[in-house]
Amino acid sequence: MHEITLMQGLMLAGVAFIFGIDFWLEALFLFRPIIVCTITGAILGDLQIGLITGGLTELAFAGLTPAGGVQPPNPILAGIMTTVIAHSAGVDPKTAIGLGLPFSLLMQYIILFYYSAFSMFMPKVERYVSENNTAGLGRMSLLMTLIVACTYALVVFLCAYSAQGAMQALVKSMPAWLSHGFEVAGGILPAVGFGLLLRVMLKMQYVPYLLAGFLFVCYVQIQNLLPVAVMGAAFALFVYFNSKPESAPAAATEAPKEDYSNGI
Amino acid sequence: MASEHTTTPEAEITKGDITKLAFRSSMLQAGFNYERMQSVGFTTAMQPLLKKIYRDDPEGLKAANKDSLEFINTHPNLVGFLMGLLISLEQKKEDRALIKGLKVALFGPIAGIGDAIFWFTLLPIIAGVCASFAIQGNVLGPLIFFLVYLAVFFMRVGWTHMGYSLGVKAIDKIKDGSTMIAKSATILGVTVIGGLIASYVHINVIASFAIDATHSVGLQKDFFDKVFPNLLPMGYVMLMFYLLKKKQVHPVMLILITFVLSIALSWLGIL
Repeated sequence: MHEITLMQGLMLAGVAFIFGIDFWLEALFLFRPIIVCTITGAILGDLQIGLITGGLTELAFAGLTPAGGVQPPNPILAGIMTTVIAHSAGVDPKTAIGLGLPFSLLMQYIILFYYSAFSMFMPKVERYVSENNTAGLGRMSLLMTLIVACTYALVVFLCAYSAQGAMQALVKSMPAWLSHGFEVAGGILPAVGFGLLLRVMLKMQYVPYLLAGFLFVCYVQIQNLLPVAVMGAAFALFVYFNSKPESAPAAATEAPKEDYSNGI
Repeated sequence: MASEHTTTPEAEITKGDITKLAFRSSMLQAGFNYERMQSVGFTTAMQPLLKKIYRDDPEGLKAANKDSLEFINTHPNLVGFLMGLLISLEQKKEDRALIKGLKVALFGPIAGIGDAIFWFTLLPIIAGVCASFAIQGNVLGPLIFFLVYLAVFFMRVGWTHMGYSLGVKAIDKIKDGSTMIAKSATILGVTVIGGLIASYVHINVIASFAIDATHSVGLQKDFFDKVFPNLLPMGYVMLMFYLLKKKQVHPVMLILITFVLSIALSWLGIL
């Protein structure tokens, strides 16, 4: 059990401000749990726990992307709170992912609220544009970004610093089956993420590649996933070089067919 | 029609201007809202160049800004390409309908390509590899992750220059290569996801059946691991896939269901 000091709380709020801007703009991907947790761990003076929660949370959130305009549970709050809980309450990192989730959902809903609320700035933006007031337009962009960033700082400070006593009490009063349940959920949650990825990517024609990657890791002992990525790259290149004619179906539907029949 | 546009000479746009545009393209989502999505940031990012192009033509600037403030939702990493392209057209004082039409025609496909490459291929691979380092307590995990995405960020400069120099030819370019690139990227991504499922979804059944006083059959060790390791993780992922795709269940609902199920099965002593 570790206390979060006021200084640490303020520093977490400070980095949350930066992560918040980065997530809002999707610029440097500092907002991904693997970075957020590592930095949080470093601030708490426990880099190791940050790395471990970072790896685990990153995987749990791998499929939870804002692609297609759907706002996922917030990766920044998930990263910070998972690490803070694992460090301060001394629970297993997998259990901490489960305990961090409510904070992540809270921030998701705040961002969704802003998406709607910021529509109210549009009449003002339109007026600036019709007056050729570019400085005003720039100020509006900055204003909305700052509102979001300050919210991140505030929410993180409140959750990580002010609420830590309540959090620790909660963890202490938890029966074993419940904390084990959280750990089980932490292990299964990536399935939802992978399901989300597959929803977008998986078509019947790609099932062989999914099975190949799956079987490879089931039966070959590997330290990290790089070999699977190389195998995937090999498949991708094979298909790319062997189905060239398909790439321009509109332009050259006639020619390749003729070549094919002549070749046979 | 074109004659009235040619009163002022074409503004000179330098390489430095385009590079600056690339960095400014990072403001794309600055004013994100549900009404026009990325339009505020999109317009803000292009201001310096539009002002340069329409320096003696306030009405022209107004018209250009009004068009760029229309609804847009595309990919932050690739939007520089679209901005560069549109700036080259604005510079030539092309017809407004063409500029508007190109923007509307391109932002969707660019978003699709960007999502396929950056979210659904690059992220699972980089996250999977880096997380496997991080879980072992190796600081290389986050470090590699950071460096890869830093490189991806600086590629924005390249996309923006590409868009600007391609000019109107861009549409053909995109149509030419995109299907094959997207298909190959998908194959790579799907293979890695297969591996991710096997290594990172953990379902371990602890329930066992007592045969007699001394012997019992552990469901996991004696049944699932012998039939097929990781059968349950793959099955659960497929169930999620089915619910998401065919039943349109909301992801947050599935997360909650997974939680409740995990805790319930833990309480029953099955998992």
